[in-house]
Amino acid sequence: MLERQPYKLYMEPGLSDSCLIVGWAKDGGRIGSKLVEYLARELRGHCFAEIEPVDFFPLGGVTVEDDVAEFPEARFYCCRDSNLVLFHGDLPACEWHRYLDSILEVAQQYCNAREIYTVGGMFSLSPHTAPRQMFAIAGSPDMKQYLSRYGLAGDFDHDTPPGQRPTLSSFLLWEANRRGVAGAGLWTSVPFYLAAVEDPAACRKPLEFLNTRFKLGIDFSELDAEIARVNDLLARARSTDPQVDGYVQKLESNLALAEQELEALAAKIEDYFKRERL
Amino acid sequence: MPQSKVTGVMGVRLRKEPVLNSPVLIASWPGIGNIGVIAADALRKALEAEQLGEIEPWDFFYPKKILVRNGVLEGLEFPSNTFYFRKTEKVDLLFFIAEEQPTPVGGMYAEGKRAYQMANLVLDVALKFGCRRAYTSGAAVAPVHHTMKPRVWAVPNQSKLIDEVKGYPNTILMSDLEGRLGRGNITGLNGLLLGVARKRGLEAVCLMGEIPMYLQGLSVPYPKASHSVVEVLNAILGIDATSEDLVAAVERGEKRVEELYAKFSPEIREQLDKLRYVSYTRSTEPGPITEEDKRKILEELDKFFKGKED
Repeated sequence: MLERQPYKLYMEPGLSDSCLIVGWAKDGGRIGSKLVEYLARELRGHCFAEIEPVDFFPLGGVTVEDDVAEFPEARFYCCRDSNLVLFHGDLPACEWHRYLDSILEVAQQYCNAREIYTVGGMFSLSPHTAPRQMFAIAGSPDMKQYLSRYGLAGDFDHDTPPGQRPTLSSFLLWEANRRGVAGAGLWTSVPFYLAAVEDPAACRKPLEFLNTRFKLGIDFSELDAEIARVNDLLARARSTDPQVDGYVQKLESNLALAEQELEALAAKIEDYFKRERL
Repeated sequence: MPQSKVTGVMGVRLRKEPVLNSPVLIASWPGIGNIGVIAADALRKALEAEQLGEIEPWDFFYPKKILVRNGVLEGLEFPSNTFYFRKTEKVDLLFFIAEEQPTPVGGMYAEGKRAYQMANLVLDVALKFGCRRAYTSGAAVAPVHHTMKPRVWAVPNQSKLIDEVKGYPNTILMSDLEGRLGRGNITGLNGLLLGVARKRGLEAVCLMGEIPMYLQGLSVPYPKASHSVVEVLNAILGIDATSEDLVAAVERGEKRVEELYAKFSPEIREQLDKLRYVSYTRSTEPGPITEEDKRKILEELDKFFKGKED
C-alpha cells in the first residue's frame, strides 16, 4: 500500500555516516528536550526536516501548558562539524511504527546514520542530592561490548511488567536493529519529584557520554549554571517547607516514603517550581 | 525499509499453504465481555485448529512487552493476531483471532485507516484460500438479566441472507428488537469486517451474544454469551465442537457475576431483578406480564440509571 511521505525536508543536511540522537519531549525530568536543545545550540545545529503532525496526533485543537498553547513537534537538526543528527519530538498518539519508521528513514536516507542513541529519564526514589545513575540497553551484543568501554554495559534482565507497555525508545531501538543500525537506549535516574519539572543534573550524564564518545568539546558551563539554579530552588523549597525537608531527609537516610508522602512531595515541588517561575 | 516475508499477501506471514475447500472464516477481535474472542477461541481449541500465520503487527499495534537479557534488547512482543485452519468432514474452517483491536491511545475499538487495512488483510487471506462465508462475533448490550440464557443477535451483510439467519437457533434480527426498526451499530472491527466483506462481495454475518447492560462497564468477560454464540455456530456449520474449557469458563463467569451482583445495593438489585420479567423483543404470545407492565418497568429502569448518572 503506497502512503505519502509524512515528513518534509527543508535542506540537504550534508552528513555522512552520522549518528542519530533522539530525545522525546515531556519525558521524565525533561532530559530529552534539554539534551537536544543543548546539543543543537552548542553544535550549531540547523533544523533540516520535520515530521508533519497530521497522521500522528489528534489535531482537534491545542493543549495549553503553563499558560502557553502547545503544538506537537517532531524536528530533525543536523550538526555538520560533529556529524550528528538530532531528533526531538512529541510521543505520537497513534501510528507509532510509521512515526518511528519516518525518523529512521530521514536519518538513514539523508544522513546515512549508522548509529543511534535514545535518551530518557527513569523515575528514582533517590534524592536529588545523590549522584544520578545512567545505564544503557544495547540493541545488540556488539553494541553492548562497545558500550563496556564507557562503563555502560549492564548484565541485567528485564521484562515489561504486566499492565505496562514498553517505551517508545525501546520500540525505536528494536526497529533500528531490524534495519541494521547499531543503537542503545541511555537511561538516567531522575528523582521522582523532579520528573514533572526539570532535572538538568540528569541531563548532564548522557551529555557527558556523548561528549566523550564523539569528542564534541561541549562547554558545560551553562548546564552547570542550570543545575546550580535547580539545586538552589530545591534548597529554598526545603528551607521554606519543613514537610518537604522532612521527606527529602528521609530519602537521604534511605528511608521509604509512604505513597501519600511520595505524592505530596512531588506535588509540592511541582507547585514550588511553578510559583518561582512566575 | 525492511520487507516482510510474505506468502502472497503483503503484511501477512503464512507458515503453511494448506489446500482448503471453500473454507468458512470465523474472525473476532476483543470487545465488551470479550464474547466473540472467547467464542472463536473455544471453537478453535475444540477443533484443534492448526496455526496458519499472522498479520505483521508493528504497523497496527504498540508493543506489549520488551525483553532485555544481559543488558541487550532481545526483542519486543506484540499483541497476537493469528490465523488458524482446520479441515473437518463437513466444512473447512479458517480462524482469525486477535488479542487487541488496533486503536489509538486510550481507545477500545479500531477505526479509520488502520482498521480498514486490517479488515482487508484478514479478507485477503480468507479469499486467497477460497473463503465463501465469514462470521464475526461480538457483544449485544441488552436489557436482560444475567440468569437468562443469552440470545444471539445476527446481522448479515446482504439481504439475501436474512431468511437463512431467521432459521438459526436462539437468534434474533435487529428488526425483532422493539423500537429499533431494524437499525443499529456494530462498533469496531467485528462490525467493520462485515462492511468490507460486503464491498468485496463476500457473504458475512456478525453474531452478537447478549450481555446484561449492567455488566458492560465492568470489564469482565462474559463467556455465557460466548457459549450461546458457539451453539449457533455449531448449528450453522453442522459440527459439534463442544469445549469443556468453555463450559468451565461459563461456570466461573457466572460465579463472578453473582459476586458482583451481590455487591450492588439492594435498591439497584431490586430494579435489575425486574429484567427477569421483561422481554424487549416483539412477542407473538402473551408473557407473564402485560405490555403495559413491561413498558413501565423499562421506563423505571431508564429513569433509575439516568438518575444514577446524574
